[in-house]
Amino acid sequence: MVRRRYHQLEITGVRLGVCACTLSLLVLFLLCPWSLEAEPDGYDLLLKATQALREGDLDRALHLYQQVPPPQEGQEGGAFVRSRMEAARIFFSRQEFESSASMCREVLEVFPDNLEAKNLLRQAEVSQIPQWLRFLKDMKTYLPTLLKASGMTLILVLITMIVSPTAGLFIALGRISRMKMLSAIFWFYIWIFRGTPLLLQLFFIYYGLPQLGLTLSPFTAAILGLGLNYSAYLAEIIRGAIESIDAGQMEAAKAIGMSYWQAMRRIIVPQTYKRLVPPVGNEFIALIKDTALVSTIAMVELMRAADQIFNATFNIFVLMQAAIIYLVLTSIFTVTFRKIEDRLGVYENR
Amino acid sequence: MIELTGVVKNYGSLVAVDHVDLSITGGQRTVIIGPSGSGKTTLLRMVNFLEKIDDGTILIDGREAGYRRDRKGRLVMEKPDVICKLRSEIGMVFQHFHLFPHMTALNNVMEGPITVKKESREDARKTALDLLGKVGLLDKKDVYPAFLSGGQKQRVAIARALAMRPRLMLFDEPTSALDPELVGEVFSTIKSLAQEGMTMVIVTHQMGFAREMADRVIFMDNGRFIFEGTPLDVFSSQMENPRVKAFLDKVL
Repeated sequence: MVRRRYHQLEITGVRLGVCACTLSLLVLFLLCPWSLEAEPDGYDLLLKATQALREGDLDRALHLYQQVPPPQEGQEGGAFVRSRMEAARIFFSRQEFESSASMCREVLEVFPDNLEAKNLLRQAEVSQIPQWLRFLKDMKTYLPTLLKASGMTLILVLITMIVSPTAGLFIALGRISRMKMLSAIFWFYIWIFRGTPLLLQLFFIYYGLPQLGLTLSPFTAAILGLGLNYSAYLAEIIRGAIESIDAGQMEAAKAIGMSYWQAMRRIIVPQTYKRLVPPVGNEFIALIKDTALVSTIAMVELMRAADQIFNATFNIFVLMQAAIIYLVLTSIFTVTFRKIEDRLGVYENR
Repeated sequence: MIELTGVVKNYGSLVAVDHVDLSITGGQRTVIIGPSGSGKTTLLRMVNFLEKIDDGTILIDGREAGYRRDRKGRLVMEKPDVICKLRSEIGMVFQHFHLFPHMTALNNVMEGPITVKKESREDARKTALDLLGKVGLLDKKDVYPAFLSGGQKQRVAIARALAMRPRLMLFDEPTSALDPELVGEVFSTIKSLAQEGMTMVIVTHQMGFAREMADRVIFMDNGRFIFEGTPLDVFSSQMENPRVKAFLDKVL
């Protein structure tokens, strides 16, 4: 369509030329010979368009840019390329990708090797693809990297999932034991690690401990930070669960001659399992998300991988893909914990 | 067999058990009655060291057991392993059963012999099946307590206590938490135990049961023994003690 308009312009240009020719003949050859090519001067239009841009009249500028004619045989065509590329960029910035692409194509028709036009055309074409299609395309590009990185996230989660309930149980037993010293030490530990941000703890372990002469690898630091933090939380949850078991259970166990520890191991603690599943499941889901924090101490896991790609491309789909992976992980955990809870509850009459 | 002399238990300023002497001989069936808050349960719990005594002595087979005096002369409990050993020889049945909810009836009964006595699973299983049969619940062996009725729970609890082969059985209001129609099955279980010559101390509010079962009835009030005698003495119309009389008038 745009090209047809040029055609018309060309024709008017020729007509004008004929008119001028007649006129100049009639006015006793007063006019110079070059006024025969009275078609609009490319550079002149460029100048006017720049002026319009300066005045903020984008539409007029675009109009003027498109008036610049393609070069004739023997002309170098600089004004033409500049005008079309300016127009293409303006269209692109207005997200009118189709117009932008056609500007680029006009340039390429005359100058097939123009790199600037090629690049902008590709960008415009990509931007023309529907969003969901782009999303899928990006997925193919970035998903492998993200999945690989989420392997590390999973490793961090699984190790913490094993370490912290085990440690938490011992801390909880220590807290409720009659050994005052032990109880006080664990109280202090829980006070510290539950009362400060995990991010701060990670920073302290990774950046702070080296100053005290203990340098840890990012992985060790991450495991240590997550483990210490989550053990503190789980210890309190487990302590609550143990204390929620009817005191009669301990009495009955003692009445058949069990020691305190036998009663704990055989009677009390096993009864807490079912009660522990919902709150512990919650903690583990929080843990999956909290692993994102270790990206700040040079661990490459899902969050950091996504962040790196995002910083390079500013492609928000990368973040969405990371979000989906996190959602898949948390959903798997939710379902699994639901199943475990049901299975542990077989002895309950509901 | 067991002799408590001058035992005292204080809860703050409240004296729950006030210098009581209780002597239990082998094969004897003692029933303790009295109003609530009179210290019956506390006394019973003292016998198997679930309640620490503040003063007095406990003799088992004529020897002081469970406590010693520290340098300042205060009474302190022996080390846990000593207490556990003593407890394992005394069975206790609670008002609210306290069965282990995460174990089947059979496993409830097997738990003591396996964990405490370190018996083999097969032996423990054999004994447990035997005992469940005795309390009439063999068909419920694989059922979890939550699916048993109150009476069935209490019978399993009795079997659990018996599995430790105790020399003495303590019953702390064994039927108080039961629906009336379930009381009978628990009583007949206890009665059959009595017929085998089991030594027992029973705290109960069921006077009919007390009359039927007891060799000796003790009436307790305000942490003291008010009256002690045969069922005939206690439930006779010539009862002269006004407090016993008032109590019996109320409950009978």
